[in-house]
Amino acid sequence: MTLDFPIDNPPTRYHPLTTQLPIKVATEDVSVRYGGKLALEDVTLEIPDRAVTACIGPSGCGKSTFLRCVNRMNDTIDTARVSGSIRIDSEEVNGRDVDPVVLRARVGMVFQKPNPFPKSIYENVAYGPRIHGLAETKAELDHIVETSLIKAGLWAEVADRLHHPGTSLSGGQQQRLVIARAIAVNPEVILMDEPCSALDPIATARIEELIDEMRENYSLIIVTHSMAQAARVSQMTAFFHLGKLVEYGPTEEIFTNPLDQRTQDYITGRFG
Amino acid sequence: MQSSLFAVLALLVLTAVGFLIGRRRAVAAGSGRASRLHSLPNYYGYYLALWTGLPAFVLLALYGLFGASLVNTLALGELEREAAPLIREYEAQLARDDQYQALAEETQQIEAEALSARNEMFRAEREGGDAERYLRALGALTAQRNEIAAERQVRRDQVASSVAARAPRTIPGVRARAGFEYWRAPSERRELFIADARALAFNEGLASRNTEEIRAAALALRPWEDLFRWSAAGVALALSVAGLAYARTRIRASFRARDRVEGVVGLALMMTSAIAILTTLGIVFSLLFESIRFFASIDWRIHEFLFGLHWSPQIAIRADQVGQSGAFGAVPLFAGTALITLIAMLVAAPIGLMAAIYLSEYASPRLRAWAKPALEILAGVPTVVYGFFALLTVGPFLRQFAMMLGYEDAVTQSALSAGLVMGVMIIPFVSSLSDDVINAVPQTLRDGSYAMGATKSETVRHVVFPAALPGIVGALLLAVSRAVGETMIVVMAAGQGANLTANPLESVTTITVQIVMLLTGDQEFDSPKTLSAFALGLVLFVMTLILNIIALRVVQRFRERYE
Ligand SMILES: Nc1ncnc2c1ncn2[C@@H]1O[C@H](COP(=O)(O)OP(=O)(O)OP(=O)(O)O)[C@@H](O)[C@H]1O
Ligand SMILES: [Mg+2]
Repeated sequence: MTLDFPIDNPPTRYHPLTTQLPIKVATEDVSVRYGGKLALEDVTLEIPDRAVTACIGPSGCGKSTFLRCVNRMNDTIDTARVSGSIRIDSEEVNGRDVDPVVLRARVGMVFQKPNPFPKSIYENVAYGPRIHGLAETKAELDHIVETSLIKAGLWAEVADRLHHPGTSLSGGQQQRLVIARAIAVNPEVILMDEPCSALDPIATARIEELIDEMRENYSLIIVTHSMAQAARVSQMTAFFHLGKLVEYGPTEEIFTNPLDQRTQDYITGRFG
Repeated sequence: MQSSLFAVLALLVLTAVGFLIGRRRAVAAGSGRASRLHSLPNYYGYYLALWTGLPAFVLLALYGLFGASLVNTLALGELEREAAPLIREYEAQLARDDQYQALAEETQQIEAEALSARNEMFRAEREGGDAERYLRALGALTAQRNEIAAERQVRRDQVASSVAARAPRTIPGVRARAGFEYWRAPSERRELFIADARALAFNEGLASRNTEEIRAAALALRPWEDLFRWSAAGVALALSVAGLAYARTRIRASFRARDRVEGVVGLALMMTSAIAILTTLGIVFSLLFESIRFFASIDWRIHEFLFGLHWSPQIAIRADQVGQSGAFGAVPLFAGTALITLIAMLVAAPIGLMAAIYLSEYASPRLRAWAKPALEILAGVPTVVYGFFALLTVGPFLRQFAMMLGYEDAVTQSALSAGLVMGVMIIPFVSSLSDDVINAVPQTLRDGSYAMGATKSETVRHVVFPAALPGIVGALLLAVSRAVGETMIVVMAAGQGANLTANPLESVTTITVQIVMLLTGDQEFDSPKTLSAFALGLVLFVMTLILNIIALRVVQRFRERYE
């Protein structure tokens, strides 16, 4: 499937080059209300597979809210009401008959603050496979844990202390542990909400490297406040402002040649 | 009365004046601009008011606390001095009185015999001899001594009245008789004498007697009272004015009135908390001293108290009452307490925890808003109400149920009924504390679990509960210490038999129940029986203290982990 090219679809502006990639997630007129308050308004965009899509925009513009739509985490917020359509591989996510529990096994999520469970490193990674029954035997589970930790670039550091508590790791290691936990259930899409904002530059660099590697296997959507980070790791960038998607396109285009004045102002730091 | 009221009013006025002067002077010192002053003008006012009022009020308070007893001591001391000739005469006559001296000797003899009988009894008890025999002998000796003591008292009264009758019927004579009566009276009679005298002198209530002696004492009280009252008022006013004058000279723009006032406030707050802490310490120490007396009275056989299996604290108090000598083995009480606590926790821990989990994880905010307070109302029900609920409803029901199942020996007052009802009582305790703990588990952990595709109950079981576990343990320990110390329900519903049993359908007794039993009714306050209550209290206190310390530690750790 490729993108139709809705360049004349106001208010969002799409860049022409968007068309070349296979699409993983497609949203159409997604709006979210908290109580009566509109937090996200008519967001329509198509997110490519095996690529990193960055969501940028000033604080409170609805980036996290958008991310939570994709794995239906908004369901856990009592006041949140989501409308519109979200499709993953043309399968509707937002339907009443879709089990969010199953959906969330396909869509992993990594949060701003590393949140390992109060369990051992091993158990943290084994958590998802256990609840979804992905491993028949202990050996299979061991294998899943090991490969996930290897993919998350943490194996070398923790191989000899798998049974220490996950909370005993450093912040950067914890964030990689959480990534390992997310990929242990073989998701197709991974959502990351400001995954580096609680980390120092070195840990951030490692995570960015990891994101770049993960691009080969997953469709990644990351929220970031760092323009530099968005420029470094993402292939596509979506700019949100006041609950609306203002502009969407290949990262290079957005950063060098934005179509909208607000995008221009935001990436050059004129408002934020 | 009127004079002190006047003094208080005058002091209040002076204090207010002090405040105004302080403010005024401060404003003047800052040439009308508050910014030139170190503190706001009001603080200078407070400072002056404190100097004006505080020392004087402290003096008045001291007078109020100690004034009356000082006046009593002085006035009656005066009378006693005037009674010196009568006292001398009385003592001389008693010394010469053969009948009286014979009785005194007999008393000494009996006391010596009683002492040896007592020692023999303890020895026999230790070595398994016939303690009963010595106990009976001891009872007979005690009765004999009491009889003789009564005779001696009669003789003393006869001598005293003949001495008093010889005093002249003049004012000094009556005063001497009053002093003599006061001197002879035992302490509680002295208090009554003073109360009557004060009643006549100052219209403080009604006098129970109105004799010449009392009237004389009343007349003696008056001048002292007047002297103290007026001088207290005078000195207070003088202090107040002096304080005002002194503090006034200190006011300058650079004077740090605010810091001074702050210091006084700090001091006052410190005193109040000191009162709270000292009272607690006082209670603990009195518990400790009485327990030491108890251990001394059982010849320091502390291990028998802590590990003995037999509890029956009855000791013969009167000669005709042939009871057992006391056996103070407290293990049945500890076991009863443990059994009831266990039953209570078996009820409260699961229900309280589930309720907490439901309220914090499942209930909608609206439901939670009324369900939580509703549950906490359970904690506000007076324990006595739980007690009669256990006694009148649960107990009979359990008995019938047990009999229906073929257990014929079932009784109404059983460990089970007390434990069940106590469990219900501490449910809100467990649920409220655990609810707080569960709420303290960061939302990000739950989100992490949901995002992995876990359901609510999986999240609760695998993430929230383990994360909250240390705090929940702390909450449960606090609930245990609550159950261990609970009294009313067990007094009413658990029975009194000191059975050493693990059968919840039998009646058992607990530490708290025994304390109540030992201390209610007419008691001698220095028999081992009564004193043993203090030792039990000490054990209870130490137990709950340790539980609380551990629990608070655990909860603290838990909090730190998620700060
Ligand atoms: N649980 C909630 N209940 C009510 N309103 C919410 C809730 N979460 C977010 N909002 C509101 O929705 C709007 C968008 O919030 P969102 O968290 O998506 O912003 P964001 O772009 O992620 O901001 P930030 O960069 O600060 O994380 C904000 O105005 C916020 O106040
Ligand atoms: Mg956000």
